[in-house]
Amino acid sequence: MPDLDRRKFLKMAACLSAAFGVGNLPAPVLAALKKIDGAVPTLVYLQGQSCTGCSISLLQAETPNAVTMITEYSKLSFHADMSATSGKQALALIEKYLSGNAGEYFLAVEGSIPYDMPEACVMGHKPFAEHLLDASKTMVGAVAIGTCATHGGIPAAEGNLTGAVSLKEFYKRKGKSPLIIDIPGCSVHPDWVWKTIVHLVQVGLPELVNGQPKLFFDRKVHELCPLYHDFQQEIFAKKLGEKGCLFKLGCIGPDTNADCSTRWWNGRQSWCIGAKAPCIGCASPIFAAKKDFPFYRIAKKGKE
Amino acid sequence: MKVDIGPITRIEGHLSIQTTVEDNIITEARSVGEMFRGFEVILRGRDPLDAQQITQRICGVCPYAHAIASSYAQENAYNLSVPANGRIMHNLIQGANHLYDYLLHFYQLSALDFVDVTAILKYTGSDSDLVKLRDWVKFEVASGKPFPATPFLPRLSGKYIEDTDLNIGALKHYIESLEIQQKANKASAIFGGKFPHATAIFPGGCTQDPSIDHISSYRSLIREVKEFIHQKYIPDILAVAQGFPEYWEIGKSKGGFMSFGLLPLGPELDSKRLFAPGVLLNGALEKVDFEAIKEDVKYSKYSSPSGLKVREGTLTPAPHKSSAYTWVKAPRYKGQVIEVGPAARIMVDYTQGHNQKIKELVDKFAGVAGIGAENLNSVLGRHLCRAISAVVIADFLLEETERIDTKAPTMADYELPESGEGFGATEASRGALLHYINIKNYKIDRYECVVPTTWNCSPKDDRDQPGALESALIGTRVETPDEQIEANRIVHSFDPCLGCAVH
Repeated sequence: MPDLDRRKFLKMAACLSAAFGVGNLPAPVLAALKKIDGAVPTLVYLQGQSCTGCSISLLQAETPNAVTMITEYSKLSFHADMSATSGKQALALIEKYLSGNAGEYFLAVEGSIPYDMPEACVMGHKPFAEHLLDASKTMVGAVAIGTCATHGGIPAAEGNLTGAVSLKEFYKRKGKSPLIIDIPGCSVHPDWVWKTIVHLVQVGLPELVNGQPKLFFDRKVHELCPLYHDFQQEIFAKKLGEKGCLFKLGCIGPDTNADCSTRWWNGRQSWCIGAKAPCIGCASPIFAAKKDFPFYRIAKKGKE
Repeated sequence: MKVDIGPITRIEGHLSIQTTVEDNIITEARSVGEMFRGFEVILRGRDPLDAQQITQRICGVCPYAHAIASSYAQENAYNLSVPANGRIMHNLIQGANHLYDYLLHFYQLSALDFVDVTAILKYTGSDSDLVKLRDWVKFEVASGKPFPATPFLPRLSGKYIEDTDLNIGALKHYIESLEIQQKANKASAIFGGKFPHATAIFPGGCTQDPSIDHISSYRSLIREVKEFIHQKYIPDILAVAQGFPEYWEIGKSKGGFMSFGLLPLGPELDSKRLFAPGVLLNGALEKVDFEAIKEDVKYSKYSSPSGLKVREGTLTPAPHKSSAYTWVKAPRYKGQVIEVGPAARIMVDYTQGHNQKIKELVDKFAGVAGIGAENLNSVLGRHLCRAISAVVIADFLLEETERIDTKAPTMADYELPESGEGFGATEASRGALLHYINIKNYKIDRYECVVPTTWNCSPKDDRDQPGALESALIGTRVETPDEQIEANRIVHSFDPCLGCAVH
């Protein structure tokens, strides 16, 4: 794609910032925004305590597809699942970016960070946490991809042994506040990530709500749910597989900000509630967090 | 000399391999799992029905295998009677996931070990995907950046396919396979809700009931995947085999082979399966006995006791344990090192002559390649066995859709018991997967997962026997000791999944 002229870009970004209220952002964020020069951002994609589900989900993108994203909209400079090289060459590549010697880059992080047990995630004999500290000095900003990176996710669920935290929480505890765009979801929807990156390339920083792109996370799953009518009419499924609103089986759609009800998944093939499965709130900050808040209201609770 | 060839890329998760090389031969290999989350502890005290959702998040590449293993374990614990449709839905979801996984593994995770990416610069045709890729690589290489055209370049030194057209054809298939794997995942999502991480799979069946709308979409998607498997995937594997015939011998693991069997042919948990279960120890076939599995932790970063049976599993992390070099445990069967995965699955089935189609395919491809069934234990053997599995599964899924009764139930009725325990075993695409659940007072008291890559990438056990991958690396000749493309090819042939292995 043709490179955007820097001045034209900044002008456009300024107009759009004003239109969307980005001007109200804190000064460090605005400073970071100004650093994005409209050229295609280089992405250095690292995985912490992750299951790779978000990366796999990113490969399911169709409009645009993953190849277009890699060759046109982002310069994906490192991704452990795609990289032709490995070992020392791969480490050298990562370190060159993280040391600030390979030009500007955006960090993409999938997975949580084991704050209390740094040895629980290591890359090249060095805890992942230390790589993140290196990056905090050199990156333009970061995209936290998936619920583990945005809220800690299952690795941070009650009773975990590693003290897993989100990317933002990790930096906060280390006294740092880099620009971070949170894109939750377990796994993340490919559109949420890729289209945020397209936005960064063509427009600049997207408008954020609670640190998440407003475009995708402004409304509750419940608000545009096709079963909303059943909810209003009080037609509730009483057991799995039954017709009706799934609220009484534990659906967390009313408490989850995401546009699944209109976007659907896998190229608009289906989505959880479309398959009559209650929303488990995978994009929510409380996802899986507490042992006594189960996904479903089906089992007996037992004696406390 | 000691060489660490990690981090290993084009796998799932954090794996390093520490080797000792003498005169260009690997004399020692340590498989090092570098990430730990502690799922089994997180599951304790939770609602049992959370398990098939939480365990799916062990791995985003094969989440459905975990959902199915967890569902089987819970069905076992709840004594559930699953309707025929429910089991068919499980099979349709899981089977399509296998097809996706084989394609991802061959093209995205393995092909760049053999295919010369730089051949794209010589492309003179007009295919828009290839033109886009060529122009991008050209632009990047000319940019003067320190790392142009990553992630495709740089690459490890070694021999790659020399024929330009063959390379360009393979790169075209690399791009096409991305679209095809999406189709397999769409097929899964029709009944599973979404991929990765299906929400519609439950113990007792599936929340989505099948309609003609669903079935016809599913069939049409699987047909397209099947065509790609026959027209492109298999010829590409045979082309790699022709260019690198030495890999029918390289990467042999030392030990037994095990499969838990895949895709039940009836609704009951003990139904016969499309791929038969079994253990091959010293060439003889045995029935699988879960009680014969013990997990050693002498070299793993846990202070909990070594040699525990599955139902006794405990987990106390000890990140600074001095003798330990990995977060992966060392499961052993009757004390023996075991390889699991596509080659084990095919060998176990072939040895007992269970599935006629598998026998025919093994004999046919072995004939074409000029090898014997014993060569399935090799780098190329593992690749070939994935392709054979893909052919058999694609045909089965199309037949399975014809057995759906759109008027019959898809989900069992159940009440969860106050207590109970159950085992659930299946085959993830990368090998034998076992879940164990123990329920007390309506809550999970203990949950254990013994996972394919835990077997394959295990460290040495209490008797100092190296794990399957370690044993396959030892003795390998490497041309460039500090890069070791040969070792990378061996590692990739196992399709390691470290998120699964450690969880």
